[in-house]
Amino acid sequence: MATRRRLVLSAAPPALSPGGYVARAYADHVTPATAQADLASSFEGGAWSIALSWRAARAVRALDGDPARFVDAAALLVPTTEGAQAMTMGAPGDPVEGVLWRADAERPLRIAAEGWGTVERQPAPPQWTATARWKDGFWYVTFRLVGWPALDRFRRVAVAVWQGAARERAGLKSVTAQWIRLS
Amino acid sequence: MTTTRTADAGGRQLAMVLDLNKCLGCHTCTIACKKLWNRDAGAAYAYWNNVETQPGQGYPRRWQETGGRTATGAVKRGEIPDLDADYGRAWTFNHEQVRAQVGAGAHKPWLRPDAPPTWGPNWDEDHGAGEHPGTNHYFYLPRLCNHCTHPACLDACPRRAITKRGEDGIVLVDQDRCHGYRFCVEACPYKKVFFDPERGVANKCIFCLPRIEEGVAPACARQCPGRLRFVGYLDDPEGPIWKLVEKWKVALPLHPEYGLGPNVFYVPPVGPVAFDRAGRLVDDAPRIPGALLESLFGSRVHEALRIVRDERARRRRGEASELMDLLIAYDWNASFRLPAGTREVL
Repeated sequence: MATRRRLVLSAAPPALSPGGYVARAYADHVTPATAQADLASSFEGGAWSIALSWRAARAVRALDGDPARFVDAAALLVPTTEGAQAMTMGAPGDPVEGVLWRADAERPLRIAAEGWGTVERQPAPPQWTATARWKDGFWYVTFRLVGWPALDRFRRVAVAVWQGAARERAGLKSVTAQWIRLS
Repeated sequence: MTTTRTADAGGRQLAMVLDLNKCLGCHTCTIACKKLWNRDAGAAYAYWNNVETQPGQGYPRRWQETGGRTATGAVKRGEIPDLDADYGRAWTFNHEQVRAQVGAGAHKPWLRPDAPPTWGPNWDEDHGAGEHPGTNHYFYLPRLCNHCTHPACLDACPRRAITKRGEDGIVLVDQDRCHGYRFCVEACPYKKVFFDPERGVANKCIFCLPRIEEGVAPACARQCPGRLRFVGYLDDPEGPIWKLVEKWKVALPLHPEYGLGPNVFYVPPVGPVAFDRAGRLVDDAPRIPGALLESLFGSRVHEALRIVRDERARRRRGEASELMDLLIAYDWNASFRLPAGTREVL
């Protein structure tokens, strides 16, 4: 059965960012660059299909050699314990896992974290895919995910979106405040 | 190797002193560094060491305005310099076209940049300020990472990818941890962290760490024809750094008001005196304005200049001066005091 949801996104609090600079320099970063996103998910034949779309007036697909450019990106986060929180990206002993799509990468990345600033990236399993297109001011990204025990078990995700044009990266992102239950 | 997130672990600190009275503006330091460390495609625009003319906008352009610290040392949001407007894109030239023209017998082939340059690491060289003749002035300011005691770049990295070594205070980027977020580039008020867009990671001066570990001074210091650079540990009372910074107090950090504890120090330029309208030298009218030097090196610059002038006068009277002997670098080997036993034999 498919799940369709309109998600309200909020700016992730810069105060959570490790170190002294980001929390202070971006204390005014309270308005999400992406206020909402649409999510559609289904689970068939052992494979999750999770489609995200959001408004992006200008797509940034590559750095093009520019040291001041940031690319568009989106991620799905999944808890691995009952106590894992999405907003903090987990915590020591309550890790989270995820999949990251970047507009400049051919393949998605698998991520794992136990709190902000602890993200570890590695190539996603070959059976995981992310297909993306940008049309008429919207990104449409569809993840196909096979063999992800944490997602199969908890059937919950959190969403994060980075707008490259707004120089969003790391903790400067638009996120769902809570886990989204997939049916 | 031991590393720490801050410099408060009580470790030693390597440092460098540059005597600005001796800088020729020849850029040998810049080229030595560039050829050794920055030849990757994504680092074409990046100069870990550069020499800029002061007063001037420097490299990257407006760096003194775009860092992540206020004049009172508070955090403010910094900027990532623009590739064209602030760093200046690395120039490429029409070599193939010129070769073809020469081959076709052209008498005046025109070698020119492929795209009109907009800015660069040496863009406003020798512009300076003041009126000629009389008050015109400029001096050269070589710049590199200050390997700060409290590095803004380290504080800015949410990945904890930047560390400060406990044994020598060298600040390093762990490119395996770096995710290319560039908060370090923003935050550094000296704009001495760079981003490689080809590799997606930050990079910066490593104080020629592999050379240091062999007892050899950094390439920028060793290659300096003017012998204006001194290298050693800040706490070594037998070394040139301690003598110039702590004993003689003539070497000052750049922009101490940022509050980061830079560990590159400068002997400020005394400069020539001004001419009056009749073309006579005016002894008490330095051509380089004190306010300019104070804006760069803080209020202690005036006392440092007085000490240098006094010691110069002492030397002119034929009296001994440890400071002048040190700054003149009669014994070049004494300019670099690195751990005995690994000290390079010249």
